[in-house]
Amino acid sequence: MNLLPFFKWCDATWIGEVIRQSTTIFPVIEVLHLFGLTILLGTLTIIDLRILGIGMRRQSIPTVVSNLGPLTVWAAVVTIVSGILLFLSEALKCYDNQAFPWKMWLLLAGILLYPLFQRRMTRSGALESSAQMKIVAVLSLVFWYGVALAGRAIAFV
Amino acid sequence: MSLESICQAIQESRIGMGLRESPVLWPCIEATHVLSLALSVGTIALVDLRLIGFIMKDQPVTDVIEQTQPWTFTGFGLAFLSGALLFWSEAFRVYPSWSFRMKMACIPLLGLNALLFHKTIYKSVDQWNTSSVVPMRARMAGWFGLVFWAVVIFCGRWTAYNLQ
Repeated sequence: MNLLPFFKWCDATWIGEVIRQSTTIFPVIEVLHLFGLTILLGTLTIIDLRILGIGMRRQSIPTVVSNLGPLTVWAAVVTIVSGILLFLSEALKCYDNQAFPWKMWLLLAGILLYPLFQRRMTRSGALESSAQMKIVAVLSLVFWYGVALAGRAIAFV
Repeated sequence: MSLESICQAIQESRIGMGLRESPVLWPCIEATHVLSLALSVGTIALVDLRLIGFIMKDQPVTDVIEQTQPWTFTGFGLAFLSGALLFWSEAFRVYPSWSFRMKMACIPLLGLNALLFHKTIYKSVDQWNTSSVVPMRARMAGWFGLVFWAVVIFCGRWTAYNLQ
């Protein structure tokens, strides 16, 4: 499948054009992207560490998940929306970038992981999680920190 | 010897030059800085958000603080170390940047904020540990932390855009 026409179309949108032509809009959106990412990694780390049994042990898994879930979703929305705006302004640059597809695959993996296991996280009243859940938690940490890492790598490869 | 010439000497040292010119090491250090920053500021923000009454309102404040602290310290240690190495490699370049100076001024202020919080109002935490609305001074510490860490992240990113 050739995705070049899609990337070209994104690059040519008026939003992308506006962001590209301004010297301040891009860095401002970038800062918002960083704010979102900071909160997102913060909450996800605490949730995953709780599932692994090495953080927030005084709270049950459903308590941690229900307390941090909404903030996680908001942070994800801010990060993804700002990320789409950044992408529109340099879609063609991303097309030629070796790190960009890595970032997208890791992002997809990270997002898919949640609905798949969310029910079990919020329902299980058990203080300890199963081996399966722990593997999911490790994968979640790897995927989400991987997204951030690949994102930073876009600037270098 | 002026601060400027010290920065120049740091940047031109063998280690500074080596770091700057390494095509692998430098991006790795920068990536470490971003990831560890997210871990430390992300977990600090959870404490601050608890203090201002935005999240985990029905969980004890001490539970939130004590259980996030090891991760905050791990993240901060890594961010500090990687940040020091980044500074080593381009001290003279960032020296004139207003955003870098502001960042360097904000970090000690945040340290002071945390220290004051722990030395004063936090001493009486037993009286308000489980309240969803904590005393004004504790809420102020939370707001200060949120706002100034945001300024630090903003200034850190902005420094890349106002270098000569």
